[in-house]
Amino acid sequence: MSAGLRDHEADLQRALRRLERATPFAEVMAERSLGESVQSDSKSLTVHKSPRVAGAIFRAWAGNQWAEAAASGLDSASIAAAVDGLETRLASATRGSPPPGESSTTVGAVEAAPARPLRDWGTERCVEWTKEVMRWAMAVPDVRFCQSALIWSEDERHYLNTAGSNCFQRSSRAYGVVVPVAAENGKSEFNAESVGSQGGAEALNGFDESLVTRTAELARQLLRAGKPPSGRMNVILDPGTSGTFAHESFGHGTEADQFLRDRTYLKPLLGQVVGPESLTIVDDGSVPGGWGSIAFDDEGHPGHRTLLIDHGRFVGALHDRETAAAFGTKPTANTRRSDFLSRAFVRMTNTIVEASDWNLDELVTEAGDGVILERWQSGMEDPLGGRMQLKVRLGHRIEHGKITDLVGPMALSGSVVEFLRDIRGVGNDRLELSPGMCGKGHGDYLPVGGGGAYLLSRAVVGAS
Amino acid sequence: MTSAVNPDRLAARLGDRLRATPGPWEVYAERARRYELHFNGTSIELARGPIIVEGYGIRLFRPKGKETGVGYQASTDLTDDGVRATIGDAEEVSRVSRFPAEDPHLPDPKTPSGGPELVDRALWSEPVRSLDDFASKLFASFEGRPGVVPSFGSAKATLAEISIANSLGLDAAFAHSIVETEIGVKSFGGPEGRPPGEYWVTGTSRRLEADRLPALVDDWARYATDARAAASPPTGQVPVILPPEVSEGFIPAVLGFKLGAVAALRELAIPAGTRVGGDDLTVRDDGTLDWAVGSAPIDDEGTPRVARPVVVDGRAEAPLSDVLHARALESTSTGNAARADRFTPSPAWGRFHHAPSPRLSTAVIPPGDGGSDAELIEQVEDGIWVQQIGWAQPDVITGRFGGEIRIGYRIRHGKLAEPVRGGVVGGAVIGAEGTPSLFSGLSARGSKSRLVSGLSTPTLVVETLSVSGEASPTPTASS
Repeated sequence: MSAGLRDHEADLQRALRRLERATPFAEVMAERSLGESVQSDSKSLTVHKSPRVAGAIFRAWAGNQWAEAAASGLDSASIAAAVDGLETRLASATRGSPPPGESSTTVGAVEAAPARPLRDWGTERCVEWTKEVMRWAMAVPDVRFCQSALIWSEDERHYLNTAGSNCFQRSSRAYGVVVPVAAENGKSEFNAESVGSQGGAEALNGFDESLVTRTAELARQLLRAGKPPSGRMNVILDPGTSGTFAHESFGHGTEADQFLRDRTYLKPLLGQVVGPESLTIVDDGSVPGGWGSIAFDDEGHPGHRTLLIDHGRFVGALHDRETAAAFGTKPTANTRRSDFLSRAFVRMTNTIVEASDWNLDELVTEAGDGVILERWQSGMEDPLGGRMQLKVRLGHRIEHGKITDLVGPMALSGSVVEFLRDIRGVGNDRLELSPGMCGKGHGDYLPVGGGGAYLLSRAVVGAS
Repeated sequence: MTSAVNPDRLAARLGDRLRATPGPWEVYAERARRYELHFNGTSIELARGPIIVEGYGIRLFRPKGKETGVGYQASTDLTDDGVRATIGDAEEVSRVSRFPAEDPHLPDPKTPSGGPELVDRALWSEPVRSLDDFASKLFASFEGRPGVVPSFGSAKATLAEISIANSLGLDAAFAHSIVETEIGVKSFGGPEGRPPGEYWVTGTSRRLEADRLPALVDDWARYATDARAAASPPTGQVPVILPPEVSEGFIPAVLGFKLGAVAALRELAIPAGTRVGGDDLTVRDDGTLDWAVGSAPIDDEGTPRVARPVVVDGRAEAPLSDVLHARALESTSTGNAARADRFTPSPAWGRFHHAPSPRLSTAVIPPGDGGSDAELIEQVEDGIWVQQIGWAQPDVITGRFGGEIRIGYRIRHGKLAEPVRGGVVGGAVIGAEGTPSLFSGLSARGSKSRLVSGLSTPTLVVETLSVSGEASPTPTASS
């Protein structure tokens, strides 16, 4: 990316000046990305270079609503097409109020350089990495199929607005994953392990033979694992699942655009104690190297740590300029677009349950009976209803204060408020952010991190 | 091919620039305009469009003994330099990658005439006005309903022209429209002081169907209101009734993989001939249905889409494939090549980003003799009607699905009773012979089918799913 995105700044500034004649505020986010995906499985080797795609999206205030237009090109014709489209909309707009909230005037440039760029590895070395990972997994008996992948990307974003903000960021991400599938008598089970963070090959540290073998061994054991228990019971979430809980419950619920729509069960609880003293949840886009970290959000605000629950008290929400203005606070640098074709929303970055003082043995003893949910797979929010769904690949029963049998995939369902109320302990585990992709509603996926500590509460669990 | 819209043939123009490139090669091109309205309550918070995307993907096939090096590269750069660079990247990738098939047979230039209806012509010619009208009708459908409002939502229209060219001289093109809607319906207030309830519904179709809104809003308002008074479901294996909206969340994904060539090549599929359901169960894949989002005159490699059985008399048929997988499995393409990723199985646009792989077009489960929904409920006697699952998250490798019940109803004495919410419903969709699954446990199918996104199915009654809740394990115990 040597002929950089910033080479287009003059054209973009000209476009903003043109729009300024028809609107009190306009902004543009231009983007270029490159990367590579190498995927090996037992039958094929697939290599994809990221699409050669670049473009820009313009947003302008149209009197009483926002209007956007975009084009998949940074040449003058593409930019002109987007601006023409936006001008047409602005021409028919009613004169109304000024744009909501304060416009960012931040100026800055952050070019995070990976310690060991995967671009320098070259495709061959990436291929070798995936093949080696696959060999480790396939060496485990009953593992009949395996897929491993290594994906890296470099993304440039340039944000400019008519208030003078000018924020450029270049970020790199690396992601490795292995999915061993064990099979026996027509039954298949799989397990998955992944690592991912901003940076380069250093993100893959720890993804070694021992980890891959353990992952594959668990896939094999799942063939003979029992059914999970079913009904309401004590549950311990492992640190990854705990991060997903934070994301689905307090992450989506505190995206303040939902507050504006009166579409969150959390709005009336702001300022109240909702969980135990040991519970603190944050969204932190400034975690160095975090998968979901950002240098600037897509309204031009520097990445930021926001307290959501502080020692049990619900204290904060995630804001863009509009919601911040409505609630008399400041934007929290959580306005994000999936890419230059997608709309800007209030979104999470890295959502974290902070460590407390219990170790796992103490939590298991405290639980007595129940189940541990391990290896999170997915989650689903219910912002208005105040419920959540978490799915995991596997778990272990807890019987008489001991961890016992391995059990298969499970889903947890429950009321967030009741789940928080029933938290009896939060672990003292060191934070490890796991990489994920988050949609808002049913689309607009972007990278988010999650993590936390073991956490003991109660919920309904069932096989899935 | 399919409509009054005369689609652009960008792929053929790009193909002219590949004539000096050794074959086999293929170019897939897409020109799309996108328009969106985003609602906050009954006001528009954001109007988007035009969002213009013009891009293409070039795929090269290079022989490597009994294998093929496949190089795919996508780009939006239409300049000569950009196309050259894209070809160069594809060549580079083809040197490294390998697929276990030699000499793939690309579709020949004979393209079908006619084809399914894919374009909402009013939307195509006046997208901004059509979306504005849709929003007005949506908001009007909520008038006169105290305590029920739309909390948020969006309507997104994509108008796309697809073209495909290849080294054999294929030059095919078609136009299509896709409409994606998302609406949150909130029920609130009332004297009982209950917390508000929501029914959050999404849909993908090819037309803006504003005339159906009043009836749909009737149903959505009822579900949102009932969610406020819902109790936990029981625990156990009880008969579950699944309307098409719910089944669509997991049946096409699992069926597409377990009966597809990706899984067959990797020995993860259900082998042809395996019994997966009763003798009366026949399921087909159909890429020719009018207005189905999975339909088109050709697949994403240019092979004509067709209707083909995937389960006949309860037994699995040969897998659905694209050109490469067909060659590896010593068969021919079934016209099921699709360009998608794991997050969006049927993306409205941006398909050129992806190399093709086999996927279902539209899964069609034919109607049975179970009668109307009311008659199915009467036959069940005691069980659960599941109206919505949070996210069924189909797991294609194991064939299972499972998720939280967002809204459903207990069935007591053959009638819908109190609403239920929470708990988990799940099980296998399809499995090896003798494995309990949705297909093996189908006890009745309704007499009318409905097309919902990638599935056409009647309401299904299933005996083999497990439900985990907090209520009595015996559904009738408290009645």
